[in-house]
Amino acid sequence: MISETWLLVVRDLKKWVRSPAWLIASLVQPILWLVLFGNAFNPTGMIPSFPGSDSIKNSILQASFGGAPNYITYLTAGMLCFLVITWATFAGGPLVMDRSLGYLNKLLVAPISRTAITLSLLISSILKGALLSVILILVALVLPSGLVFSPSFGVVDLLGIFAALTLLSVGFLWLFMILSVRAQNFETLAAVGSTVGLPLLFASSALLPVSSMPGWLGAIANVNPISKAVDIIRYLIIQGAVSGSVLTTVTFDFGLLTAFVVLCTLLGVVVSNRGLRME
Amino acid sequence: MSKIIEAEDLTKVYPPNTKAVDHISFYVDEGEIFGFLGPNGAGKTTTIKMLTTLASVSNGRCSVAGYDVKNQQSEVRKAVGLVPQEAAVDTGLTGMENLLLSARLYRIPSATAKEKANELLELVGLTEASRRMVRTYSGGMRKRLELISGLIHEPRILFLDEPTLGLDVQTRTLMWDYIRGINKERNTTIFLTTHYLEEADSLSERVAIIDHGQIKVTGTPSELKSELGRNLLEITVSTDSDLTRAISSMNGFSEVKRTGTYTYVIGMPKIEQSLQGVFNGLTKLGVNVTDAKLEKPNLDKVFLNVTGRSIRDEVVDSGDSFVARARAESARH
Repeated sequence: MISETWLLVVRDLKKWVRSPAWLIASLVQPILWLVLFGNAFNPTGMIPSFPGSDSIKNSILQASFGGAPNYITYLTAGMLCFLVITWATFAGGPLVMDRSLGYLNKLLVAPISRTAITLSLLISSILKGALLSVILILVALVLPSGLVFSPSFGVVDLLGIFAALTLLSVGFLWLFMILSVRAQNFETLAAVGSTVGLPLLFASSALLPVSSMPGWLGAIANVNPISKAVDIIRYLIIQGAVSGSVLTTVTFDFGLLTAFVVLCTLLGVVVSNRGLRME
Repeated sequence: MSKIIEAEDLTKVYPPNTKAVDHISFYVDEGEIFGFLGPNGAGKTTTIKMLTTLASVSNGRCSVAGYDVKNQQSEVRKAVGLVPQEAAVDTGLTGMENLLLSARLYRIPSATAKEKANELLELVGLTEASRRMVRTYSGGMRKRLELISGLIHEPRILFLDEPTLGLDVQTRTLMWDYIRGINKERNTTIFLTTHYLEEADSLSERVAIIDHGQIKVTGTPSELKSELGRNLLEITVSTDSDLTRAISSMNGFSEVKRTGTYTYVIGMPKIEQSLQGVFNGLTKLGVNVTDAKLEKPNLDKVFLNVTGRSIRDEVVDSGDSFVARARAESARH
């Protein structure tokens, strides 16, 4: 199964690289989000300048924004997660296209595993997401009053960030793969994806602290898997995970995220294989 | 000759109760070109789907290359090649990439795959275009690529679903040559569906006509023509008096129909003697034949005879797997 999955991954990546509009859009989009959200939601930007305003801004960042040196540093975790969720939403697109064009029959009649078809899209989406995440981090670093890593940030923390992102995207990838396998056209996928994406983002700790939300929204944000991934990444960026109490929180969040992924994967594999079985 | 496909009471029911294929039985000999002929929505594509494991079998049994399509799917998949009616190649890849991808999916080592791909590209004259994206291909080039993309793993049976649909006459004739060539030189059994009668007539050794999910007749094109089609002689005479009785009393012309004041259509079993007989008989009566037209039997006549004349809406088996699936899906929920 591995070799055929890889063949299909290569097919998808080739087509991605060859379609310049798609490639450029996927590169520019996360950067736009970072810049726009970074300025529009910046809480310290809402406070006018007056004697002593800097110390107020600092205490706000300290109290509600996890001690981030600025808003972009706080926001980067959220935008990384948003990026991979967006990719997850549309990862099944090629499958929907293959079905509507008829190429899917060609794949289904070949002696390959059904899982290889969905798994290849998962893997290629993760690879694209990882590449774009790196670019997003680099851009965040060079933005004015941009991303600042904790002094104790190291390779382990970086790996932790990618682990959390991968887990989050695998979970959502399987969820949306279920939809893609059953969707009769690309419009269905686009409609659901664009309706679900942003609300999921706002109902999480990606943009603003949960403590600032009204109770009902906070409750949703607290169980939103995006919040778990965002919290992990944010801890790693702002504080580095190696210190004691943070390590416990991060480990706990990783546990929750893993449970989410296991659940989605089981559901996703079973349902999507059913969707690809014989008519 | 051994039978490479054997179907017995093969049935496909899409829920709730659309019978796309209804208890069909037929066989295909190894090495032959078998034409599956029928109007739109007759059940051709659904049959192909069952034979290639894309659709489950609701009832009956079928073996393909000696394997059971219900229980030995992966063996069947290895033995068959499919060129579906819709896109069989990825337009976002080059011709060569498409072939190599197909080959690798069948676990052909890449060196062999390249060799095979080059050979097949040359066969259909696409060597030069092989590095170009398929989306830049013309319709005919794409069909040729699709044809060989089903051949790269050297299947014992190649299924072609409407291989020349929408092609111009030149390309269609060219495709026929390729299909014959593949059949002769590689000894690949070919199962092709078509609603072009000319195509079935010119390519197939044997033909089955399917309509409303049922096989109406099976046989060689010439058998079908002689069984179901007749020679029809249409004559125009100089007199307006009714000659129906006079002609039908002549030896062997029981079927006579007056179609106009001066015109008659006469059914005749054998051409040579009958023509002579009609003309001689009429001369004896002092009637001049001013015009005569002989219509020999063709598959069109057989086809219309069997399937009727109404135009079909493309429903279940439109080749649009999508429509069928959508219906099946929505029915399931």
